[in-house]
Order: sequence, then C-alpha cells, then structure tokens
Amino acid sequence: MMIRVRDLVMRLESGGRPVTILDGVSLDVAAGEVVAVTGPSGSGKSTLLGLIAGLDTPSGGSIAVDGVDVTALGEAELARFRRRTIGFVFQSYHLIPTLTAAENVAVPLELASAAEPLPTAARLLGEVGLAERAHHYPAQLSGGEQQRVAIARAVALSPPLLLADEPTGNLDSTTGGAIVDLLLALNRERGSTLLLVTHDAALAGRAARAVALRDGRVVNGHHRA
Amino acid sequence: MSRVALRLARRQARGGRRHLTALFACVALGVGALVAVGTLGAGLESTLAREAKALLGGDVELRAARPLPDDAEAALARLERSGARVVRVRELVGMARTMAGGGSVLVELKTPTAGYPLYGALSTAPAAPLATLLDDEGAVVQRELLDRLGLAVGDRLTIGEATLTIRGVVEAEPDRAASLVRLGPRVFLSPAALEHAGLVAFGSRVRYRVLVRLPPGLAAGDTRARLARDIADPGVRVAAYDEAQPGLRRFFSQLTSYLGLVGLASLLVGGIGVATSVSAFVARQVPSIAALKALGAETRTLVATYVIQTQVVALLASLLGAGLGLAVQPVLTAALAGLVPFALEPKPEPWTIGRAIVMGLATTLLCTWAPLAAVRAVPAWLLLRRDVEPAARGRGVRTLLPVTVGLAALALWQAGSLKIGGIFVGASLAALLALLALARGLTALARRLPRARGLAWRHGLAALQRPGGHAPRVVVALGVAVMLLVTVALLEGVLGRQIDYEQRREAPSFFFLDVQTDQVEDFARLAERTGGSRPVFTPVVRARLAAVDGARVTREVVERRRARDEDGRWFFTREYALTWAEAPPAGTVLTAGTWWTPAQGHARALASIEESAARHLGVRPGSRLTFDVQGVAIDVEITGVRRVDWQNLTTNFFFVLSPAALAGAPATWVATTRVAGEREAALQNAVVAAFPNVTAIPLRDVLERVAAVLGDIAVAVRLVALFTLGAGVVVMAGALAATRSQRLYESVVLRTLGATRGLVARAFAVEYGLLGAAAGVGGTVLATVLAWAVVRWVLDAPWSFDPTPLLIGLAATVALALAVGFLVTFRLLGQKPLPVLRRE
Repeated sequence: MMIRVRDLVMRLESGGRPVTILDGVSLDVAAGEVVAVTGPSGSGKSTLLGLIAGLDTPSGGSIAVDGVDVTALGEAELARFRRRTIGFVFQSYHLIPTLTAAENVAVPLELASAAEPLPTAARLLGEVGLAERAHHYPAQLSGGEQQRVAIARAVALSPPLLLADEPTGNLDSTTGGAIVDLLLALNRERGSTLLLVTHDAALAGRAARAVALRDGRVVNGHHRA
Repeated sequence: MSRVALRLARRQARGGRRHLTALFACVALGVGALVAVGTLGAGLESTLAREAKALLGGDVELRAARPLPDDAEAALARLERSGARVVRVRELVGMARTMAGGGSVLVELKTPTAGYPLYGALSTAPAAPLATLLDDEGAVVQRELLDRLGLAVGDRLTIGEATLTIRGVVEAEPDRAASLVRLGPRVFLSPAALEHAGLVAFGSRVRYRVLVRLPPGLAAGDTRARLARDIADPGVRVAAYDEAQPGLRRFFSQLTSYLGLVGLASLLVGGIGVATSVSAFVARQVPSIAALKALGAETRTLVATYVIQTQVVALLASLLGAGLGLAVQPVLTAALAGLVPFALEPKPEPWTIGRAIVMGLATTLLCTWAPLAAVRAVPAWLLLRRDVEPAARGRGVRTLLPVTVGLAALALWQAGSLKIGGIFVGASLAALLALLALARGLTALARRLPRARGLAWRHGLAALQRPGGHAPRVVVALGVAVMLLVTVALLEGVLGRQIDYEQRREAPSFFFLDVQTDQVEDFARLAERTGGSRPVFTPVVRARLAAVDGARVTREVVERRRARDEDGRWFFTREYALTWAEAPPAGTVLTAGTWWTPAQGHARALASIEESAARHLGVRPGSRLTFDVQGVAIDVEITGVRRVDWQNLTTNFFFVLSPAALAGAPATWVATTRVAGEREAALQNAVVAAFPNVTAIPLRDVLERVAAVLGDIAVAVRLVALFTLGAGVVVMAGALAATRSQRLYESVVLRTLGATRGLVARAFAVEYGLLGAAAGVGGTVLATVLAWAVVRWVLDAPWSFDPTPLLIGLAATVALALAVGFLVTFRLLGQKPLPVLRRE
C-alpha cells in the first residue's frame, strides 16, 4: 500500500473560530494507482494532499506513506522524506522566480546531492518539451510552460508518489489537457503512484479511481475499469 | 549540504539586489566609519611612537622650573663622560616688539645650546645650522611673528632689553608639543641673547630642559632610573622618550576613543538597515522558501543559504567600507593637522581593518538573526493556503536578547573599556527606547486624531500606520544620526560661548605678568592713560611644595604616589604661584573649613587650598604644608578648602595664603585690565615699550587659539558622524522601498478613483514630513540631553543653551526625510494604473 490514511482530522482557526477542514477521512491508495480526489471548493482536498506530503501536522488520525508514519516525523526527517518519496505539482506552479527553468528543476537533484544536476535538469526539460526554454526565468514562460517545468521538477528524483494539486486549475482547457497527458505519461513511464486533486470532472475522469470529498468527509470512492 | 546552500545562496541573491544593496550600503558606511577612526588612531599612535625621541628632544629629558641642582649637574657630567651628548634648553614666554616702537606680540622664547636638536630635524629658511643663525644676537622666528609685526628676515626686533636681528624663519620644530594651545609664535635666540634680554630674573617662569642623547649601549629606561636615583629633588622631572608627551598621548587616545564610539553608532544605525532590508528580502522570498521546503530542503540549509548570502554581501561591503575609511584619511588628518607638531601619517593597519571587518560581519549576523528566524517559521503548507498569514515570527525575548547581548559585546570591544562601553550601551539603549516610544506615539496619535479634512493629510496619516512598521525604523535611524550631529553643534555652542571673548564682559583684556613691586604705580597710570580700566593687581610668590604634614616631598614619595595617581604627582612637584589675601576672592565657595578673620590673617601663617589639590595632596583643614620660596621654608596651616571655577577668566590660585604667611616674601604682580577692542594693541604696545620685563597675555588672542583647536576637533567628529547620517538615509530609503509595492497599489487605486498625482504626492509629503519631524524632534531632544551630560560630566563646564542648532536640526531632518522619500518613491507617481491593477 502506497498511502494509508485513517480517520484524518484537521481543524484550523479562521477568523477566531475553529473550522473543521477534514473530518475523519480514511483512504487507501495502492502502489502504481492513479487516484483523483474531487470535490467542491473548500471540501478539504488540498489540505488532504498537503497532509499526506507532510506539509502540515493533522489534528488527529494517521497517515502512512510507503510504510512511513508521516505524522511521527520531525522537521528534518520530513524534509528528507519529501525529497525521497514525494513529487509535488501545484496549481500555481510555485517555481522560484529567481531561478531559471533548468535551475528550478535542478533544485531537488541538488538537495539530494545527485550527480550533474543541471544536465539532468536539461534532459528532464527535454522530456516535457521545453529543451529550448531551459535558461528562461519563470516570468518569461507561459502558464502551461511553467507547469511543465513544475512537473519536470516533481519527477526529477523519480519519487514513488506524485501529488498534484489542481495541476490544470490555472490553465485553459487545451493546455490543461496537454499537461494531464504529460503527467499521466510520466507517471506511467516511472511506475509511480499519482494522487491528483481536481474539481475538473474531465480530469478526474482520466484517473483509475476518484474519491469525492464534501465538507471534509469522503462521500464516495469508486474504481473505474 | 553546504554546497547546496552555497549554490542556493548564489542563485537566490538574484531576486534581492535592491534589498542586498541596502545591506551593502549600511555595512560599508559603518565599517567605513570604524576604519576611518581606527586608522587615524593607529596613525597617531605610530607617529607618536616613531617620533617619540624627537618629541621629547632626546632619549632622556630633565625638566625643571629652576636651574638644575648640583646632584643633577654631577649626574649629567657622568653621562657626558660615558659618551652621551647633552643639550640645554631654556623656554619662557616674553614679548617681542618692533624697533620703531610699533607692534608687540607675545612669543614663546627658546634658547638651545649647541647640538640642538638631538633627534629629528629643525627646518629653517634659509637652511643653516641654528647656532650660525643665532650667533651675534640673531633670532629665528615663526612666520606668524613676521606677519603680525610686519617684519621680514633681516629686520630687527626687541625682546626685553635685547635687540636681535631676524636671521631666518623656523618651519618645523621637532619637540614643540607641550600643549595643544600655544600662547604665541616661537622665537629662537642664543643663551647669551637671553641674558642680554634680562628676562631670566626674579619671578620669571623659565622651563629648564636638559636633553640627552645616549651612546649605544646605554638604555634610556635604565638611564632614567639611575638619574631619578641620583637627583634628589622631585621638582626635576626625569623622562625617557617612551613617556614623551603623556598629555598629548592621552588627549589623542581619548579623542580616537570617542570618535570610535561615533563610528560604532553609525555601524549600529546601519544594523537597523541590515535588519530592515534582510527582513524585506526574506518576506519577498517566503513563497520560494515554502516551495523549497515542500521540495525537501531542510530549514538548516535554507538558513545557511541566507547567512551565506548576507555574510558574503557584508564582507564585500566591509572591504569597500575599509577603502572608504582609508579614503577619508586625508580629510581627517587635515582637520587635526593643526593639533600635532609633526606630519600625521594615516597608517592602514591590518589589525584595525580586520577588526572593523569582523565588526561589520558580526553586526550583520546579529541584525539578521531575527529576520532569519522568520525563515525557520515559514511553513511549507503556505503553498496550499496562501490566504492564511503564517504565525508571528521571531520577535520574542528569546530572539532579541542574544542580539542585544551580542551588540553590547561589540560595543564593549570597540570602546576598549568596560566603563565607557557600558555608558555607550546604556545611552544607546535609552536613545533607542526613547525614539521607539516616540515613533509608537506618532502612529498612535495618527490613529486617534479626528479624521483630517484634507485627503492628503488623511492618507498621509494613515500611511504612518502601514503594516510592516517602517515608521519606527526611520525615526530611530534618522533620529540617532540627528542626535549625534546636533550634539556636536550644541557642544560647539556651549564651548564657543564659554570662550567667546566678546560675550565675557567680566573678563579682562590682558593678564600682565611679572610687574615688579616698584613698577606698580607707573604701570597703573600708564594703563589708565592708554584707555584701560584701573588695573587690578594680584601679588604672586613663586614657590614649591617642600613638605606635607612634616613629611618631606622627596622623589621617593612622588614615585610611590605616581603608581596609584598619575595626575596627583603633578601637585607635589609643580611650581606654584602663591598669593595672599585678607578677604576671600569674589565668588569663593568654601567646601570645608573657614576663611581667616583679618586679625588672624595678619597674625598667623594660614592657607586656603583648592579642592582638587587638597584631594590629590591628601590634606584637609588642620593639615600643615611647607613651601620653599627661593630657599626659604614657609610653614602654613590649612584652614579651608575652596572650589574654584577655573573657567571664570580671572586670576585663580591653588593656594591663597594669609598676608602674614608671605610677609616679606619676594613678590611680583599680575595686573588685569579691560580695554576697548580697538585700544588693545595700543595698550599692549605702550606697556611693553615702557616695561620690557612685563609679559602681556591678550585673552582675546588666547581664546581664539582655543576656539581654533575646538573647531578642528569638531570637524573631525562631524566627519565621522556624517557616516551615521549616511547610514540613516540608507535605512530610511530601505524602509520606504520595503513598502513600495503597497504604496504603488494604493496610489494606483486612489488615482483610479479620481485622485490626481498631486494629491498622492501631497499624501506622501505629509507622511515623510511627519517621519522627519518625529526623528528631528527625538534626535534634537536626545542631543540636548547628551550634550548636557557631556558638558556636565566630561567637560566640567557650565551649561548654556541656544535653541538654534535644534531648530536647524529639525528643519534639516524634515527636508532630508522629504528628499529621501521622494527620491525613493517619485517613480511610483508616474505608473499607469491599469497594468498595476492587472498584476495584482
């Protein structure tokens, strides 16, 4: 089992009152599976993804990723865990504006002390069709191009788990479609697990399984053929 | 790990050019100030050390107020036999006047025997051996004398009863540095000519110096010790070259120590800029930091990244600052050139520069501590919930305490003294808190004021409360700089008024020394005839302290004393001017004991002593002192201790004796008189022509010389304080730049709603003007407190207050704040609204 979430609860303060964002979510994702998490805005999808990546600490429940209890890790262990296990794709790309496309892709390689990070990054940019744009800064790239860079960065260390948070949310449908194609193709090639959050039914439809969240609870989860 | 941090540091710096530029400028200015002062100090020290033998005049010097006793002569003869070269010098003040009976000038006379100088070079024009020039009633004078008397080389002048021919001009004299202020230009004459002048007579103040150049193999320290053993009279001061000019050395070490604190202040003000710019830089980097954390970067790596970045920039800035500090040396040394008797060579010392660079790096590290704590606090989940503000970061005591302690340690290091460093730290903290409170008060006031009518005022006031708190930083940084500069101006004012002859209506125009008893009547008539007020005559008897409470003042007693009280030694060995009086002099304040009744005064030998002399001599009412007046012992009993205002510009004395004590003692008289400014020269010339033995000390002239010295010092202090102002300006520019995007957005929204550019500009003007006013008010108030404290405790002078520097300081600060504000933000006014709004 790649992901095993049990009774996950997340409460936050918002404007001085407690808000329950996740309310007892349980979820299993097998290795190699492609799962979409769907639901309306505010249903807790992104928070679930963030908690699985160890970006925050839940109020209750447990998360195991690749057999590791994420909630039990300290700050430095979490950093290492993310580096080894997880590739993350964000809705707003979150490229580092002061780094070129190639340097952005090279960051995880460098953090992991990989050999020849920049040539590897250039090769990865080639895989996402941006070989010519390696030395451009994010501000010089279109939204779709920035998301390709973000995907190249996410898969740079071939992590066993790819998490994508609304990867097409800021893109038009043609570009979004191409990005999804790319994401699925790379995932297939690398045999990794892909958990993607979306409220786009078409995108969700391309996953093997969809889990719907509403008001912080799982309302259904079914397999497709 | 560190390689990653290094690589990230290099790349991440791309986005922070503006912020890192502010850091760079702040550190460069602070280090520049420290290097400027340190190099000047090192230069002074090394020049004093290098020129020590020239300054003293020899390896060893004997100095006395009377001709040397026999045991001293015998010791010198022994030294000469072992190969030492000996030169005898007599120095005294006198009057030089023209032959035509025209002008006269107070001069410092010097008669060296053959062989002078033993070290260093006496440079004359024409260049010729001094003995040749002085031979046959010749004189070599400073050019100033020629200018003031309208004479030229070849002309003749009169000194006392002697007529001398001016044979040359002295351009450099190696051992002339007795005090910072000189009474008049130098005149060299031969010993024979001095005898003809008749000035070395009863009551005259002659300094007898013997300069010794030792043969190789005789060490100066050993020789000094042997001479001190051989010469019983403690009134003969024996010094080796390494103790030359202790007063001058102490003055310069204090000057550079205080200048160093001004330099440190500029580094600390720069520290505010460092904290501000790094804080703004980190704030901009928050999304990147969160992304890097999400990608698995450890907090350690990220903190290391920013530490490397800021330290590298600080290092480059420190190097540039060091260059800047060296570059201003010519200006600093020019300012102080008049105070030293030799060419002042700045000495770039690796230790001084290295220390300043370490200071720059350490200050940067400490001031980036809190902003970098924010890096630690950036949560990775920020990427998922951008609308949530991360928790408040690193402002707690736990963050600020080590920073404060670290900066205080740096201050102590720079001050080199726990006491001075402690006072500096305390004063800095007080100033910081006062300025912070003022800034808080200003923003609170802006919040509570009733809604202003004008839109510009309303927006200007609102802008003071802008999130991010730029107001306190600007007020503190500019306030400290204003404080330093206004303090210098206030101190100059206080001291200037103190020595402004025109304002001292009670002060005499002249002190006439050495009026003989049989000259008193004629002198008084002449003075009144020439336009002077009726002279006041005060008797003077020259004496030396022979015993305290029956214990003889021997060299051994004095040397023991010296070990624990360097200043006190002087009170045992100096030549005193005693006077007698029946009634206490006007303004006398008795701090202990009583004054004698007229009957007691004419019956018993009593004395009143000045309080610092009483403290150093360790005496009180009831103690007995023995004076040696020309070989006659006079025993007195102390009846009272007086406080003397040494700055009251009248004749003051350490000892006033009862008339009975000095009955029959050989006295000369000091005459004081006031005369209208335009009659001063005439009076002096008439007195000097009629009484060649009398020395006229024109107070106006002396005070002007003192003022010139103070002016030179003020220039040096102001120059260093300008570094602080520079740092303050950078801090303000940085703080405003940090609010740039917010300002841009607001101004665009206002303009979209129909506001004109003029209105937006006026709102900015209100904000900048108020910031400047707050810094100006805070800085000038603190300056007044600081100046008062310095006058009270350091200068020990009476406080006087003139608000002009405060008003100028306030107006200049407002103007500066407006100028800096508009320079940083005027481009915002020209931005087209639509593109800005689309970006938001």
